[in-house]
Amino acid sequence: MSDNLITVTIDGIECKAKEGEYILNVARANDIFIPAICYLTRCSPTLACRICLVEADGKRVYSCNAKAKDGMDIVTQTEEILEERRAIMEVYDVNHPLQCGVCDQHGECELQNYTLELKVDSQHYAIADTKREHVNWSTVLHYDAALCIVCERCVTVCKDMIGDAAIKTGPRGGDKLDKELKDSMPKDAYAMWNKLQKSIIVPSNGTEHTNCSDCGECTAVCPVGALTERDFIYKANPWDLREVPSTCAHCSSACHLYYETRAESIDNPTEKIFRVKNEWNYQTLCGAGRFGYDYENTTAKKDPQALAKVAEAIKSAGTIKFNSMITNEEALMLQTLKEKFGVKLVNNEVKPFANFLSHYSKAAGQMLYKDSFADMSECDFIVSVGAKLRNDNPAARYLFNNIQKMNKGAGMYFHPVGDTLIPTFGKSVQTFEHKPGDEESALLLILDLFANKDKLPDDVKAKLDASKEKRTKTVTEKVMEEVTETVVDKETGEEKEVTKKVPKNVKKEVEYEANSLVEKLGGNPETFEDDFAKMMKKKESFALVVGEDFYFHPKAKNLANLIALIEESTEFKVAFIPPKSNALGVALICDLDEECEGSTVGYNEPADFTISALGNGDFDIPAMNQQEGTTTNMNKRLVPLNAALDYNGYELNDIMNALGLGKNLTVDWTESLPVEKGFQLAKFDDLPNGFRNDKTENRGYVLANLSVEKTGIEIEDIEDIALDGDIAYRCNPQRQFNDFTNKAHQIFEKFALYASKERAEQLGDFVKVEFENGALELSVEVDERITGDIVEIPDFKSDLDVYGLFGKDRYAKVTITKV
Amino acid sequence: MDGYIIATVIKAILILAVISALAGFGTYIERKILAFMQRRLGPMHVGPFGVLQIAADGIKLFTKEDFIPSGANKIIFMVAPIITAATAFIALAAVPLLPEFTLFGVTVRPIVSDMNIGILFVIAMMGVGLYGPLLAGMAQENKWGIIGSARTAIQFLSYEVVTGLSLLAPIMMVGSLSLIDFNTYQAGGIAHWIVWTQPVAFVLFLISGFAETNRTPFDLLENEAEVISGYATEYSGMRWGMFFIGEYANMITIGFLASLVFLGGFNPLWIIPGGLAIILKVAFFFFLMLWVRAAWPHIRPDQLMWLCWKVLMPLAVINILITGLVMMA
Amino acid sequence: MSLDNLKNRNVGVQNYKMLDLGHTPETGWGKFKQVLKRSVKLELFVGLKVTMREMFKALFMGEMHTVKYPFEKLPISPRYRAIHEMKRLLESGHYRCIGCGLCEKICISNCIKMDTRYDENQRKEVSDYTINFGRCIFCGYCAEVCPELAIVHGGRYETASEQRASYSNFEDMLTPMDQLVNQKEYPGFGAPTPVADKNIKKTPLAY
Ligand code: SF4
Ligand code: SF4
Ligand code: SF4
Ligand code: SF4
Ligand code: SF4
Ligand code: FES
Repeated sequence: MSDNLITVTIDGIECKAKEGEYILNVARANDIFIPAICYLTRCSPTLACRICLVEADGKRVYSCNAKAKDGMDIVTQTEEILEERRAIMEVYDVNHPLQCGVCDQHGECELQNYTLELKVDSQHYAIADTKREHVNWSTVLHYDAALCIVCERCVTVCKDMIGDAAIKTGPRGGDKLDKELKDSMPKDAYAMWNKLQKSIIVPSNGTEHTNCSDCGECTAVCPVGALTERDFIYKANPWDLREVPSTCAHCSSACHLYYETRAESIDNPTEKIFRVKNEWNYQTLCGAGRFGYDYENTTAKKDPQALAKVAEAIKSAGTIKFNSMITNEEALMLQTLKEKFGVKLVNNEVKPFANFLSHYSKAAGQMLYKDSFADMSECDFIVSVGAKLRNDNPAARYLFNNIQKMNKGAGMYFHPVGDTLIPTFGKSVQTFEHKPGDEESALLLILDLFANKDKLPDDVKAKLDASKEKRTKTVTEKVMEEVTETVVDKETGEEKEVTKKVPKNVKKEVEYEANSLVEKLGGNPETFEDDFAKMMKKKESFALVVGEDFYFHPKAKNLANLIALIEESTEFKVAFIPPKSNALGVALICDLDEECEGSTVGYNEPADFTISALGNGDFDIPAMNQQEGTTTNMNKRLVPLNAALDYNGYELNDIMNALGLGKNLTVDWTESLPVEKGFQLAKFDDLPNGFRNDKTENRGYVLANLSVEKTGIEIEDIEDIALDGDIAYRCNPQRQFNDFTNKAHQIFEKFALYASKERAEQLGDFVKVEFENGALELSVEVDERITGDIVEIPDFKSDLDVYGLFGKDRYAKVTITKV
Repeated sequence: MDGYIIATVIKAILILAVISALAGFGTYIERKILAFMQRRLGPMHVGPFGVLQIAADGIKLFTKEDFIPSGANKIIFMVAPIITAATAFIALAAVPLLPEFTLFGVTVRPIVSDMNIGILFVIAMMGVGLYGPLLAGMAQENKWGIIGSARTAIQFLSYEVVTGLSLLAPIMMVGSLSLIDFNTYQAGGIAHWIVWTQPVAFVLFLISGFAETNRTPFDLLENEAEVISGYATEYSGMRWGMFFIGEYANMITIGFLASLVFLGGFNPLWIIPGGLAIILKVAFFFFLMLWVRAAWPHIRPDQLMWLCWKVLMPLAVINILITGLVMMA
Repeated sequence: MSLDNLKNRNVGVQNYKMLDLGHTPETGWGKFKQVLKRSVKLELFVGLKVTMREMFKALFMGEMHTVKYPFEKLPISPRYRAIHEMKRLLESGHYRCIGCGLCEKICISNCIKMDTRYDENQRKEVSDYTINFGRCIFCGYCAEVCPELAIVHGGRYETASEQRASYSNFEDMLTPMDQLVNQKEYPGFGAPTPVADKNIKKTPLAY
């Protein structure tokens, strides 16, 4: 992974490239077209289609798989290559159903496109067809094997990017190819066909259902109409849809996406979002982003009386309660209200994060964490602490997985709730199922393993040393032993003495250095040393992901300091996962208060007077897909949201105008975002929102990481605050983040208690969970990927005040009783 | 004397009724003939073969709003159509329509008034008829109307000259201005018809007759393509209807005049009784007008004037001269 | 076509014949002679003759031109492009439209709208289809592009109605079920040409 630039010539054009880039990517970055079907930019080459064939220095290579070397001369088209490509497209068209007319991919189908591009106007090949059925793999996935060209993009993305590896190729049961073809047809086309004729795609768990994260990324990457979203099937033709580039509002990753809208039907001309698309070569979506799009507020009307009333309510309010489903602009407006009227701003989701950030910035001398997730994709060792990766932030989880797959990486995952998926990401992934409360030890272990010891303060060094002790363990070794045998020669009957070397297992006691931290964190100190050594082989760059558990931790301050120390003393790139969608923006823009005071006005939160985009409050505001604005994502990037749907009511800016504080448009606030927090004086309309051909992200701008006064790193002593007994963990099921995802019709995950299979069996169907200050009655759902006894309780319904029940911690001691 | 007055009134009323009915019927005939000549059917749907179309049109005309433009000179505007209709009918007073016949023992002379200057009276009345369109056009405050009335003035006045001159020759021959005398003059059968001795006068009279009745090819007064409806632009309903009736009555008058002066009047023809003979002759002239309308395009105003003053008038004068010379010889 | 042909932009004039009208006389004498000539030739009466002849033809030789519309109607060209019809499959009676949306896409005046859905038999079903005849310019592109010969132009040109929608309901456009046997193929825009079979390239078949 060096940054050395090399020069290659493609079709006579000189191109600069990074060493180790694939030829295909070099060509794409320089706007040179090479056909390619099976390659996905951020995944490993599959070599399924073979159409990306080029000639490099006179040799035929697959451009998606061949690395560019300095001085290479590449030709993308020769007669031979064109012949090969045409044969490949002809083979793809063999037995492909002639049903473009009804196919959902019709119009944006790569099979159609390449068939035309390569001018396939006649067919030379034929083979008997096999009946292939369509199936529904899950609540969202529909697979029509008849249309599948077995490019394996879906398989690749699910494995290399998503990490579920929920699908694989399976037997097709088709006829064998005629042997003679091998000599008579172009050889790559033959090889491709040979494989195609043998396979289709099936769920990899051997059942008929994928039981996966239901992210839908496989449907996005499918070049043909084989893998589609069940809800969208046959609803609209792609060209009828209006594409609105925007940003997903559900989690702090704030992924780029396109809303595709159209009039609902002939009878109802209201625009509706029909589906969500993404730039899958550059941006991966999760299920919430892809399927949780229809949360718009349809009840809003303009009623001047209601506006006067809400203005009055805000003026007389003591507190405004809100959460992180809010744009930067709205947050700034709320902050303005605080400055003008002295209302308190309370945000349960963000306040602890804001506190954590401020502890960290004091210790580290900079406002924000040093690195961003976007920079981490090249790392080959990733450590996750305090994050329930699978649920908290899909993008961080994809990163963790992608590093294992693409960079032959290794990973360490520290979390109290066991997860069966994370270890499957790669062979070198170690998971540590520690007790809640032991997070500090995890950071100490990281310091111990990675820190440049010279940079550590003495007390920390002492602590680390104290955790080591000499122990002995029994190891089994293979020893070669000499054995002498008497052998009788069968023919001659002679007896002979032969000496042979025979392996033998010998048990042996050895002394080793045991690390009590490993033991405390649930690892095996006996094997850890060797395992770690293996993991560290050929590793060059390291990434540390810090999650929400840390912000909601009794020792958050100490954790923040430890992280600052890690940043200082190791080579880790460090990035935090902001707890909810625009938490980072809110933390930077708003000056939050701890406690409510006086009467409350809720902004998407239940309160005495509720302003809500859910359509059930006292006053309506637009939902995030109906308004313009910006949000700050976990990559410290400000990204624009565009309005995909009409909105007929008032916005917060109208309320501000009623109070005499407003601006002309909501987006006029964008340029007023606080520069002293790293924002820029950019106008909303000037913000780009897209990607460039060379993979660079061209969205909004990256916030400046300003330095602040450094007060130094103080590490406290580590107390044992680990929780025992029945423990509940505040954690949403995958694809659920907030009331808005819950409103979407394709997100089915319930508000329930999620537990491992064993635990759920113990608990029965319906339970009462008692907290210190309240109780919840919940049905019990099995999450097959959880292990251990800790149960998960979601927080996505704001009116249940789950934050209130958990207090300032993500873990709570609870009593669970069957109902 | 009383009997004379009553008879005259009855005759007048009868003529008024019959001729205006004929005028109405004439519109039907015109439409039909024009249609046939263009291989169309013409009115077909009201009554058998569409004959009741006249009734339908009549109802329409009667029930239409009587519209008077705000800027118009009201009285003149209202009176003008009456002038046209009235003069047309008054002219007929001096025309003997049929031969004498006996009804219930009373000898009826189907002429309202056999004045000794009959022909002069008819021409004079038709000349007065010019006031109808002229005043109508000027009173309605409409530029098309004005142009229409200007055209009326030049066309009618000019062709009056030709009519008069063309009739002068036959008058000289007959030596009387009474139309009855004309009839009597030609009593000797077809050979005595004046048309044989005065063919030029006949043709000139016909041409100017077309012009005076405002028929194609001289329908410049209300030519749609050029001046919308000319003097009738602002008229509607029955007032417009009166122009129409006047025009058709004039056509019939011209038909009678031509028959009486040139084609032997109501003298019996072989076995055809005189009454029928004149009706046939008038019908022929009426038909001729329609036929010409179907066949010929109309001419430009300058051509109209050229024709009148440079061709017809000189011809008429020459004709009178020759007639005079012949008579003197 | 040669380049010269392309360069001749005087398209359409080539087949006109100029009438020999003679020249217009300029002098008074010339004009007088023309009048005399025409009068002697009785040119005016030619006009009368023609009209009279036509009248005879009309009345007695059955050459009357009038078509008593709406009691009588003239046949229209089979390629005439009037109000659209939606055809059905002859065997099953199911409508032919597969909901591909090509007509909707190609429509110049953007007047076709359709709703489709995933039906119980896992097929694409057209749940509603409509043409806004207030906008349609009867260009025929929809009929031409339709891969199923489903939407075609019919011969119904009388389109006065209280509601434009009267012609544009899916049900109204479809061939009525009891008329299915009488359903004719539309030979106009979009229909396969008589030589279509010859132009098709054969695809090898493995059976
Ligand atoms: S996948 Fe592509 S080629 Fe196949 S039917 Fe669909 S649109 Fe046509
Ligand atoms: S389902 Fe789509 S992406 Fe997957 S192998 Fe088939 S064609 Fe490729
Ligand atoms: S939905 Fe996502 S997790 Fe499931 S199979 Fe597709 S890519 Fe894999
Ligand atoms: S005829 Fe033309 S304008 Fe009318 S619906 Fe078809 S494509 Fe559209
Ligand atoms: S083009 Fe034909 S098949 Fe396609 S939607 Fe239109 S009518 Fe239906
Ligand atoms: S893109 Fe290279 S083999 Fe498919």
